[in-house]
Amino acid sequence: MKKAQTEILGLAIVVVLVIIATILVVKFGFSKSTNTRNDFISSQEASNFLNTFLKTSASDCSQLTMTELLQDCAQGTGLVCSNGEDSCSYVKSAATTILSGTIGAEKKKYEFLACSNFNMKEIKCNDSPPLIPPIGQSCPGQKKLKIFPIPINSGTIYVKLEICN
Amino acid sequence: MNNKKSQIQIFETIAVLVVFFILLGIGFIFYTKVIKSNIESDTAEISQSKSVSIAQRIMFLPEIQCSEDNVPKEDCIDTLKLDSAKLVIDKPENSPYYYDLFGFSVIKIEEIYPNSHDLGNLYKRIDAPDYKNSFVTKVPVTLYDPINKLNKFGMITITTQTK
Repeated sequence: MKKAQTEILGLAIVVVLVIIATILVVKFGFSKSTNTRNDFISSQEASNFLNTFLKTSASDCSQLTMTELLQDCAQGTGLVCSNGEDSCSYVKSAATTILSGTIGAEKKKYEFLACSNFNMKEIKCNDSPPLIPPIGQSCPGQKKLKIFPIPINSGTIYVKLEICN
Repeated sequence: MNNKKSQIQIFETIAVLVVFFILLGIGFIFYTKVIKSNIESDTAEISQSKSVSIAQRIMFLPEIQCSEDNVPKEDCIDTLKLDSAKLVIDKPENSPYYYDLFGFSVIKIEEIYPNSHDLGNLYKRIDAPDYKNSFVTKVPVTLYDPINKLNKFGMITITTQTK
């Protein structure tokens, strides 16, 4: 083998080594680490939050739960709570207080609403106006979403909570 | 003349070997760093799993969980049980049992609605000198007041310390 050929072979070996090193750097250097805790928190947060909220009693409203107040709001029975608010306003003010004191305090964006005509495919409320107008801001990117159906006499109402990632 | 040529070839071989060992050293340093970062990532993963398992244990702790006709309710804390549980957990003779369950952590319970106030710490054991990771997990929970039959909105804040 001539000297020039030997040097080209050496160069080829160096190139192969550089390619192998680059592959290793890409594989180990940029691999994403999994985050068990964040996965657990985000998967539980929206559903736990909504479940707990809907079970919460209204101390100024005959100790009815938020679910019962939402049913009353949709059926329009004209319930007036002891603080002078109707059921729709009561749920709205309770949700605002709770959301701003919890998710809002962590500087996360969220959107909470309730409506009777909900498009499940587009995840969009078709009511105008909705039973409980949106509280907070909708998430443009990744989000955790929970939609909770509540039965009423004339059908079903839906409560939606989305928490931005 | 031949002697000089041989010396140059020996020098060339030594130079090639030096470069080879430098490259080998750089490769070894890189490999060590990769292994170290993998071990750190695994440790963080284990610590986070521990933090999650502590959070789950609290949610199903019979000492504080609501029940109706002996059927436990999920995501609910009985506020009367909570007061008694604090006394039981604080007893020195029960300390090893609860340390096995919760390790080095602080479990704080607060009411958010209708009134915003702190219900105090259910468990507190912290300040382990060699425990450097700290994770805070917040879980919404119903606080059931059996006297007034009221469900309140509460939050459990679990701060876990792991190695």
